[in-house]
Amino acid sequence: MLNRLLRASPYVVVQLAAIYLYQVAGRIEFPAAPGRIGPDFWPKSILVLLGLVCVYEIIKNLLIGETFTAAGLLEKLMKDSGANESEEQLRSYPLLLVGGILLTVVYVATIDKLGFFLATIAYLALFMVIGRYRRWGVIAIASVLGSLGLMFIFMKVVYVSLPLGTEPFSAVSLWLLATMGVH
Amino acid sequence: MDALIHLGNGFLQVLQPANLLVLCIGLVLGMLVAVLPGLTLVMGVVLALPFTYTMELLPAIILLTAMYVSGTYGGAFTAILFRIPGEPIDVPLLWDGYTMARKGQPAKALGWTLFAALGGGLITTLVMVLASGPVATFALTFSSPEYFAIIIFGLASVVSLGGGSITNAAISLMLGLLIATVGVDSIYGSERFAFGVPFLQDGIEYLLVMVGAYGLGEVFTRLEKGFAGDGTTADTDRRISTEFPTLAEMLRLKMTFLRSSLVGIVVGIIPGAGATVASFVAYGAEGQYGKRGKELGSGIAEGIVAPQTAATSSVGGAMIPLLTMGIPGSGATAIILGAFLLHGMQPGPQVFVTSGPFVYAVFASIFLGVIGMCVIGYFAIKPLVKVLELPEAVVSAFVVLFCFIGAFAARNNLSDLYVIMGFGILGYLFEKFKFPIAPMVLGVILGPLAESSFMTMMVSHSNDWTVLIGRPISATVMVMTVIAVVYPIQRQLRERTRRSGAQQ
Repeated sequence: MLNRLLRASPYVVVQLAAIYLYQVAGRIEFPAAPGRIGPDFWPKSILVLLGLVCVYEIIKNLLIGETFTAAGLLEKLMKDSGANESEEQLRSYPLLLVGGILLTVVYVATIDKLGFFLATIAYLALFMVIGRYRRWGVIAIASVLGSLGLMFIFMKVVYVSLPLGTEPFSAVSLWLLATMGVH
Repeated sequence: MDALIHLGNGFLQVLQPANLLVLCIGLVLGMLVAVLPGLTLVMGVVLALPFTYTMELLPAIILLTAMYVSGTYGGAFTAILFRIPGEPIDVPLLWDGYTMARKGQPAKALGWTLFAALGGGLITTLVMVLASGPVATFALTFSSPEYFAIIIFGLASVVSLGGGSITNAAISLMLGLLIATVGVDSIYGSERFAFGVPFLQDGIEYLLVMVGAYGLGEVFTRLEKGFAGDGTTADTDRRISTEFPTLAEMLRLKMTFLRSSLVGIVVGIIPGAGATVASFVAYGAEGQYGKRGKELGSGIAEGIVAPQTAATSSVGGAMIPLLTMGIPGSGATAIILGAFLLHGMQPGPQVFVTSGPFVYAVFASIFLGVIGMCVIGYFAIKPLVKVLELPEAVVSAFVVLFCFIGAFAARNNLSDLYVIMGFGILGYLFEKFKFPIAPMVLGVILGPLAESSFMTMMVSHSNDWTVLIGRPISATVMVMTVIAVVYPIQRQLRERTRRSGAQQ
């Protein structure tokens, strides 16, 4: 039963979201014109179809316990060829994943304050460490040169205005920009 | 005759130093992403997209199409030499390419691959040049019901021909269509699913969905599986060379070559299929119809020529609906369509009327790209396979950064970084629960077009949806749509019933 629940869980989540969004779509405000469909018709139609597919999967997985599922052509070709087998044998490292996601969230949250250069040095180095890479010299060089290189390419060549950070961190960014000749 | 003159002018445009440089960069990048661990062709094209923001439209499209073309070829090196398929496209090359290499003929196997990529690429370019004009002229007769039917067919094909289960692909597609509705609608000006959040009122940029789901999602998935510590352990220092097949050998395989080119072009044209399906289908067709079909898998040339020819041929096929109807057939062409839209150009039937010289320049760039990729493949194979030694953790860290910079550069808005973070996690969950990403991306890109053609159709025909089946072209396309969805389900159900019957 637990297996059935697990298999059905993504569809239950999507189904609940679809029901909620259908209610939200019902509250879309627009100047109604007689004989014309409104801006709610299209999203509502998609949500109904989405709900029907989810109901089918929930009944199939949870109530009937059926595991057969019709595959897309590419999926079937890969399956028949055995091309996916080696990948499925790989181990799983959920802690690395959580660490990587958290680090990325922190990077996004702090880039405005630290500025692109400093935040990126820290991010690159820590991401490589989380990715189980342990050549410290390579990590240091790749992080520093990588951050500098990206800053140079995007701010000097491609003209993207990357975040400079706030005081006192912005001083580092401004000094680097002046050194690179970016005004 | 006009086409030839336009094509000649197209060559002149592409041969300008700046465009030629962009072409070469695109070819090398395409090959690198096809070889690099942790990078797929589609991801590579996504990551290159931000670099095109400040470019003119032509070099931007040259860069991305060059990557697309050479990405179908680069992974063959590592598949044949080290049994490492850079892309799913290259999996069929393991069976005969790697086997031939193991029998002591790696140079010959690489030579056959080069012949197949060059021949398939040139044929597909020729077909693309000859067919695009007439297809666009035909498409000019389309009205909103025909357009809507074709978009629905494209979306249905993505569901039935792509990866994952058909129901999961359908859910992915519908989520993409829903994401496309977020923001202020273009007809009534009503706010939909914005929940009072300012950046949602502007809508969700398809670029953020692509970069997040394809780029970040893939990195998170690979991080969970554990990156390869120091790159590959394959012996990339050994002597690597390419030996061309003789003319007599090539002529012996002419039917294989023609059959696979045809498969590649047709599969490329069908939305949702693309190079991987073409490569597998051509290999299967060779097994069924080839003279030496029963020997496939034992390291014969037919097993190399068939998938590689079809993979490269599919590129030209996929460009036809993209340029003439604005319908992308695969992840890579969806991103190329994104580049068109970012530069304010909507490909479609009018494109030959409004931007004829531009389209022929794109054709010329693909033609030169095919030749260029083979020249690079012949002379630079050794440094190309050397990138296998790059540690995956280092490559992935930079991939994430390119994703962020790409997303930020589009609007200089830090909120967009949170959006791609969200789509990165969604992309990871999709991979985890085996929901394909491509239908969602195509749904986000084609959603507005689908909705506007649907609304126009309903307004023009007094809310009578039966117009879809009352007009010959749209009715034919709708029948094809039903077949595209129902046939594979019905076939697999029948297969399953037969199998369970045999077991009893």
